[in-house]
Amino acid sequence: MTGPLNVIWYSINRVFAMAAKEFTHIRRDPQTLLMALVMPVALLLLFGFGVTFDLENLPVVVVDLDRTQVSRGVVQSFNASRDLVVSAQMQDPEAAIALTRKLEAVAVVVIPQDFSRKLARSERAELQLVVDGADASTAIQVINKADAVASSAIPIPPGTPVTGVPRIVVDTWTLYNPTGRSALLLVPGLMAYILAMVCVLLTALTVAREWERGSMEQLFTTPIRRGELIVGKLLPYVVLGFLAVLLVLSAGAWVFGVPIRGSLAALGLAAFLFLIGMLAQGLFVSVVTKNQMVATQVGTITSMLPVQLLSGFIFPVANMPKPLQVIAQVMPATHFIAALRGILLRGNGFAEQKLHLLALLAFAVFMVLVTAAKFRRRLD
Amino acid sequence: MVPRWLVQLLAVALKEIRHTVRDKRMMGILLLAPALQLGIFGFAVDFDVDRVPTVVVDHDQTQTSRLHVERVLADGTLVRRMTTTSDRAAEDALDSGEMSAALVVPAGFSRDLARGQAVHLQVVVDGTDPNRGAVAAAAVARYGRTETMRMIKEQLQKQKTAARVGPALDPLTTPQAMPSIPDVVMLPRVLHNPRLRTSMYMVPGIIALLLLIVTVIITSMGLARERETGTLEQVMVTPMSSIVLLVGKLLPYVAIGLFDFMLAIVVATRVFGVPIRGSFAVAVVGTGLYVVCTLGVGLLISTISRTQQQAFIGGFLFLLPTLLLSGVMTPLWGIPNWLLPISKIIPVKYYVEIIRGVLLRGSTLGDLTFHLAVLAAEGVLVLGFAAWRFQRSLG
Repeated sequence: MTGPLNVIWYSINRVFAMAAKEFTHIRRDPQTLLMALVMPVALLLLFGFGVTFDLENLPVVVVDLDRTQVSRGVVQSFNASRDLVVSAQMQDPEAAIALTRKLEAVAVVVIPQDFSRKLARSERAELQLVVDGADASTAIQVINKADAVASSAIPIPPGTPVTGVPRIVVDTWTLYNPTGRSALLLVPGLMAYILAMVCVLLTALTVAREWERGSMEQLFTTPIRRGELIVGKLLPYVVLGFLAVLLVLSAGAWVFGVPIRGSLAALGLAAFLFLIGMLAQGLFVSVVTKNQMVATQVGTITSMLPVQLLSGFIFPVANMPKPLQVIAQVMPATHFIAALRGILLRGNGFAEQKLHLLALLAFAVFMVLVTAAKFRRRLD
Repeated sequence: MVPRWLVQLLAVALKEIRHTVRDKRMMGILLLAPALQLGIFGFAVDFDVDRVPTVVVDHDQTQTSRLHVERVLADGTLVRRMTTTSDRAAEDALDSGEMSAALVVPAGFSRDLARGQAVHLQVVVDGTDPNRGAVAAAAVARYGRTETMRMIKEQLQKQKTAARVGPALDPLTTPQAMPSIPDVVMLPRVLHNPRLRTSMYMVPGIIALLLLIVTVIITSMGLARERETGTLEQVMVTPMSSIVLLVGKLLPYVAIGLFDFMLAIVVATRVFGVPIRGSFAVAVVGTGLYVVCTLGVGLLISTISRTQQQAFIGGFLFLLPTLLLSGVMTPLWGIPNWLLPISKIIPVKYYVEIIRGVLLRGSTLGDLTFHLAVLAAEGVLVLGFAAWRFQRSLG
């Protein structure tokens, strides 16, 4: 009765015994359950509202040196826009600019003295926009919004020839996210980010803890092989992680209106591969450091900031210099975020996402193998 | 005679320094990791919108249409990555995310233009990233506006020339050669960062985050470790007040925090060209207060948690909201009102405004007094609370 089938059977038995042990750990530790199932949803709700590029009510100071009906109309139209709010009116441009240094205004609109006179003479009248460029992305939005207000502030006066003049009309279609809500971009990124954090949190300490507490010695006395130990340790967390994925996706759909337009099967596969990769990465850190203190530092350094900064969650990968793009391409979070955006928003399936899925698969397999290889059944 | 508490303080600080120095890996993480990480991440934090990959769909295929397409692309916001005449191919390229915008010239574009009719340029943008989409669409819209203005003026000029009888028009002798129409233009003047590079703004933010992560994790885990290994009991039997013990434990880390800050500033200025326009002393004082705050938070976490794992989770639960709601990554102008109180108690918010102010906006003490005061108050509060919890856990 020692055929190859039997070997596999016993191996599977050992994996499940290990998984059952880990399940018992999790069951007895309500914190772990709380962390895996409640925390991701809570964080998504918190950050989904807080992490946004949709800027409204940006405070702008107006310095109206013209003081005519026309210039007051311009101020009116700034106030009427939802995006910009005239927070103060002043007479001294320098004092107004000082307010931007105190972060009480993002920009100063200066209406020069000859503004209405120039318009009356059918000349080009200039509005000056002094904008705090330190925060460049906000500044660009402010410039665009102020530009839109200014160009609509003064209607084209009568007498301008309308017929017989060629003109170029630009029609804009916005796909996938017609209302331009940044939540649709950021919430899938947040999902990946939060899941990555939770995965590393769940596993980074499990092996280090066993080393420090000495229970690893007890594991060594059992006939379990190292590959079986790794897989057995991962299994319960994969199940837990998958539940977290479902919860997070539901919260994203219901609360933030993130659609699921593409293939559910591709979505499930991407999430599954991503979970294995991230959990194995946490386990790897734990196996290599054998020390909870160092494991946390390394775990944090290798997950928190890289995922936040290099994965394309907030900063586009295409903007990065080549070496960093390579690092980004290695990280599973990059591919998971790209896959999530493709599948959820652009309605993609396996065909469009096969490269990202392959990358996720490669990382998961590699990480499990490396962790198993690094794991030594020895007491040093 | 040196006061007794000072001797005790130094003794604890020395013990803590020895602990730290003995662990080579930990020393490396504490001293070098922040500067190293800044050197890497500083290159990543760039969401400047330009070079939007664009597919050009020219159904007109004339010299005029090609000329207009070239001129739309000229400002560099849109970059042609693909040319096709098939709408279907363009759609697929947008669906797969390969292209982020499509510029469509309809058939009959140049013919209608020559007849003096309104012609349509279509721009289809991927709204997945609304910022990017909006900037791309705005670039084309701007082109349409200025082009139309130009053509209106050209037309007016032709009418004038036709009405004029006599010698041919010499543009040099007729100052009003180009007829004027009323028009409002917005002239933006950008302060502090004229080229509008996002990395200028993000690099100081990353410094704040790196300092935060190092200090919170080190203290939150340090005390939990002493408790787990049982050395805390030995310290407890010494005749020392808990506040002296706490301050002594923190001192070396404040020094490490300041060292990390200096190193990070060197990287920021040398590698990323971040200026130091304001008063650097304010930044240093701010950093000191900030590090006291974050160390206090770490201590608080460790007095609450029994094990290293709990401390780790506690640290994460503090770090995540801090990273995302403090205005470091995304502007605080967009945060809904009910969330504002949360971001207003986060010390990082004030610290990052201090260093961005000093480095980029040239802020001085006068601009930042409030920020410094908040940091100081939070530091005292958090440390006091941590000391109180710590004392209770001893008793």
